[in-house]
Amino acid sequence: MTTDFVALEGKTRGYRFFAAVLGVIALAGFISFIISYIQGHQVFGSNNVIPWGMPIVLTIYLIGLSAGSLILSSLTYVFGREEYRPIARMAVFLAIVLIFGAMLSIAIDLGRPEKFWRLFMFFYMNNMSSMFAINGILYGGYFIISLVYLGIIFAGNHRASRITGIIAVGWAVLVHMGTGAIFGFIAAREAWFSPIKPLEFLAAALTSGVALLIVAVTLTLALSGRELKKEMVASLGRLLIYFIIILLVLIIVDKLTHLYSPHREATLYLLTGQYSWIFWGFQIGLGVVIPLAVLFNPRLNKTIGWVVTAAVSVVIGIFFERYYLVIPGAAYPMQYYPGKIEGVWGSTGSFPLTPVEMVLSVGIIAFLALIFILGLKYLELLPPGEPAKEEVKESVAEAGEANNTAKTSEGQ
Amino acid sequence: MARWGMVIDLDKCTGCQSCAVACKAENNVPHGSPEEHERRTAPFWHKVIAVSNGEYPAVRIDLIPMPCMHCDDAPCVTVCPAKATYRREDGIVIQDFRRCIGCKYCIVACPYGARSFNYKEPEEKEYHRPDLPPERADRGIWPFPHRVHGVVEKCTFCFHRIDQAIREGKKVGEEVVPACAEACPAHAISFGDLDDSDSNVSRLLSSRQWMRLREEMGTSPKVFYLTG
Ligand code: SF4
Ligand code: SF4
Repeated sequence: MTTDFVALEGKTRGYRFFAAVLGVIALAGFISFIISYIQGHQVFGSNNVIPWGMPIVLTIYLIGLSAGSLILSSLTYVFGREEYRPIARMAVFLAIVLIFGAMLSIAIDLGRPEKFWRLFMFFYMNNMSSMFAINGILYGGYFIISLVYLGIIFAGNHRASRITGIIAVGWAVLVHMGTGAIFGFIAAREAWFSPIKPLEFLAAALTSGVALLIVAVTLTLALSGRELKKEMVASLGRLLIYFIIILLVLIIVDKLTHLYSPHREATLYLLTGQYSWIFWGFQIGLGVVIPLAVLFNPRLNKTIGWVVTAAVSVVIGIFFERYYLVIPGAAYPMQYYPGKIEGVWGSTGSFPLTPVEMVLSVGIIAFLALIFILGLKYLELLPPGEPAKEEVKESVAEAGEANNTAKTSEGQ
Repeated sequence: MARWGMVIDLDKCTGCQSCAVACKAENNVPHGSPEEHERRTAPFWHKVIAVSNGEYPAVRIDLIPMPCMHCDDAPCVTVCPAKATYRREDGIVIQDFRRCIGCKYCIVACPYGARSFNYKEPEEKEYHRPDLPPERADRGIWPFPHRVHGVVEKCTFCFHRIDQAIREGKKVGEEVVPACAEACPAHAISFGDLDDSDSNVSRLLSSRQWMRLREEMGTSPKVFYLTG
């Protein structure tokens, strides 16, 4: 079976309108970045207890989505699962856009972003025992490999796309485990320090990647009047079940090992402290319980609407998992000396959500959504619509298309 | 090569904070407002923490002055991607503002909270960096020996004093000590060469009971606390 791919026409008012809206939000994000560059990170919520804020949350989240979505594209190009072919190109393109966004977010979070290039002076100016430097290689390489991969897919060379697909997937796995290692190798932060963090990150990547792909794909296809196979969505939903269960097992193991080890205070704080409702409500509730309840229900797991609902719930849940790890995960005060440390030095870190940081984060997402819909217009990523319906539905289609991307970014 | 270390006598320390103040003055560390201190965005190179154990009236308070521990196996050096934090041959862990990209990974990794990020453009721009060439003279267009926002800084063991003393042939540890040790009215802080068995710090360590903070982190700190 061969599928042709076409580009979106993108001439309707709806499409232009959404592109413009996204552009404006992205511009607002850019202005916030300039403010933070001139005024320093005092305009962010981060401080010396919780050094990393929303840009890092976004980074690891976007990397997760990217790796997950790339790994899925391999189902077609490496394992030859034809039923996923209509969405495979979109998956690869989405992966590229997302990894670009992740690198952008890291650069923005640096105190001196103009020295970003120092991260890429491998071996020469880098300390290669730093996970950041290693991840510099991983992310940069991943970006290039995915671009090559997409190029080869466009060229239509099956053998070559299979080989690059294998390399790209292996690399994506490394990328995500490397990201987990940034956190997992830090002995000073007890709630992070864990050898299974890389695996947990990988599982979270696959889960959120599949979920985002379900959302993006069904909405894009359905709303642009293209044929959407119920079986494809349902089987993606079944895939999602496996990933959620793996993730759940890893979360439980991670928390249990932390509760058994001598330094359990930070983890106890995460599970029962002030912000534990984020963990139980969002990470476990939205990320695990609701989607599993839907996907295991034999009546619901075959309807597109419900599978998409479960996927949206996962996308939000995993976002909060990342948020909870980076921000409250660092908040518990370090025990410099046994006893209760009095005053500021022993108090739990706080993290105000500042307007500049919020606008910046939303701006990054809008910028990525803009690239994505521009990509749909200028690259041949979509399966062709049915010719008869095409003209009638065109305007609905494009409005819906932009709408979908906007929704996706809300989810993020 | 010497291996500089610090010995702090907790029996003598009165918690007067002179060391923390002297450090701010010596290194021109920016003064934060009380709100910034509360939010933990004010830089501190040296701090004195108070740790309580028990309930009033049976309560015990320990006062612990905490500079950077200049760990022999420093996690901050391991994680710094830009080689901006490195260990000198004499064991001092130093921070090169020119190279620092401000990723804050070192703040995350330091088990002693010894590092501070410059969250805003500081008014106090000067500091002793004889090791770094002055502005624009050498390479690069970034005038970094001036303090700017967006980089991380921390205690240097007053290496500018040590280096100068060695150049002038003075005895480090007796004639010249870091600013905190000099300022301590109780003479609780001693400084010297840990590898020299004749130095005052070695004598103190061999005659008294001592401990180091968070030994379980495996960082081998070079700041020792005398407890008995
Ligand atoms: S105390 Fe912290 S900043 Fe100082 S050397 Fe050790 S890890 Fe680095
Ligand atoms: S903030 Fe600067 S010193 Fe710290 S790890 Fe990053 S580059 Fe190195």
